[in-house]
This record gives sequence, structure tokens and C-alpha cells, in this order.
Amino acid sequence: MEINILAFGQIEEIIGKDSFTLSDVRDTEALKSKLSDLYPEMNRIPYSISVNKNIINGNHTLENGDEVALLPPFSGG
Amino acid sequence: MSTHKKKKVFIEGPISPDFIAESIAHHSVKTNIGAHSIFLGQVRADQIDGQKVKAIEYTTYRELAEDKFHEIREAAFEKFELVCMHIYHSLGVVPCGEMCLFVFTSSKHRKEAQDACNYIVERVKKEVAVWGKEIFENDSHTWKQNTV
Repeated sequence: MEINILAFGQIEEIIGKDSFTLSDVRDTEALKSKLSDLYPEMNRIPYSISVNKNIINGNHTLENGDEVALLPPFSGG
Repeated sequence: MSTHKKKKVFIEGPISPDFIAESIAHHSVKTNIGAHSIFLGQVRADQIDGQKVKAIEYTTYRELAEDKFHEIREAAFEKFELVCMHIYHSLGVVPCGEMCLFVFTSSKHRKEAQDACNYIVERVKKEVAVWGKEIFENDSHTWKQNTV
């Protein structure tokens, strides 16, 4: 099981790339905890998550091939 | 339910005063309009920790942002009696003093145009997946934070 992850803004900067894949993450809570282990700096950014272009609230089960985006606070305009 | 076509919102680089002027001029044929309201966001030379901002570089999650712009557009048409509406946002580098957001609403009477324009600007700043990187004169940077 593999999910495609997109990183934006400050999170892209912390991770050092705009996309990568992770395997064996069953849901978004597991993903968050994995990311926080891999990139402790992410703990200080209150980011939201979209799955297949829908911003999710709460935990969300992930499936093979899902596109998950890590979205730091928006700052357009 | 979608009643209007998705429109192009993103413009590469600054939004030029000529573009804004032309956009206004295009409305002279729409004679049922009695009021326009325009918001122009300009990149400010903020001082942060002694460093001066020289430009903002905008990036986006394009599909998500375009869907949200469309949703805001539909909601504004639903909520206010508008004749027409345009939203443009810059991507890439916009130097300070230049325009990065252009919201343009037109209606029969002023209140609808003004209220719709404010409504759209507030939602764009809060809900659209765009990020601004403030670039300082010494080429270091910080990430822009929108005020509530």
C-alpha cells in the first residue's frame, strides 16, 4: 500500500521536496505521527490535510494510491 | 450545483494596472450595472525583525485552489445580486508596491457590490490554498501569515 504525498509552502521547505511516497500508513493520524517522527520541525506548524483534493476533518482511512497533501496555514492575497 | 463556468484566476507575476483598467473598460457595454466595487491587494514592504520585505512569492495547490475559487464564486452569486464578478490572484514573484489580488464585483446598486467584494476577499484569504513567501532584501525569507 502506497500513498502519494504532496508538500506545500513551509512544509515543503522542512521536508526538502514537494512530493514523495510513503507505505504502510493506514490513516491520517498514523501519517501525522510518522511525519512528526521523520520531521520533528513539523510539530510547530498547524497544518491541515487533504485526501484526493478534499480537506478532511478528524481521522481518515487511507487507501492505496491516495493523494494526500500537507497544507500549512493559507496566506494568499 | 454549478451554474457558472470555472474561470481562470491565477496570473503569473504581478497584476498590472493596465490589466485592471482594461477589465473595468470591458464593463461599459453592461448597462444594467450601476456600481462596481474593487479590491486591490498590494505587496507591502513590511519590516520583520529589522529586515525589509522586497517581494512575495506565491505558490499554490492549483486544483484545490481552483475548486475553492469556484466555490466562493458560486456562493457569492447565490448570496448577492451581482451582474458580474472577477477574481484574479498572482502566482510567482510579486515585488512590493505591485498588485497580487484583484477582486471586482458589479451590481445594480452599490451595497451588493461592496458586500460581495468584502465577502470574497475574506474567503479568499482564509480558504484558498495559496502560500506567500516573504522575500527580504538580503534574499532570506519568512512565511507570510494572514491576519484575521
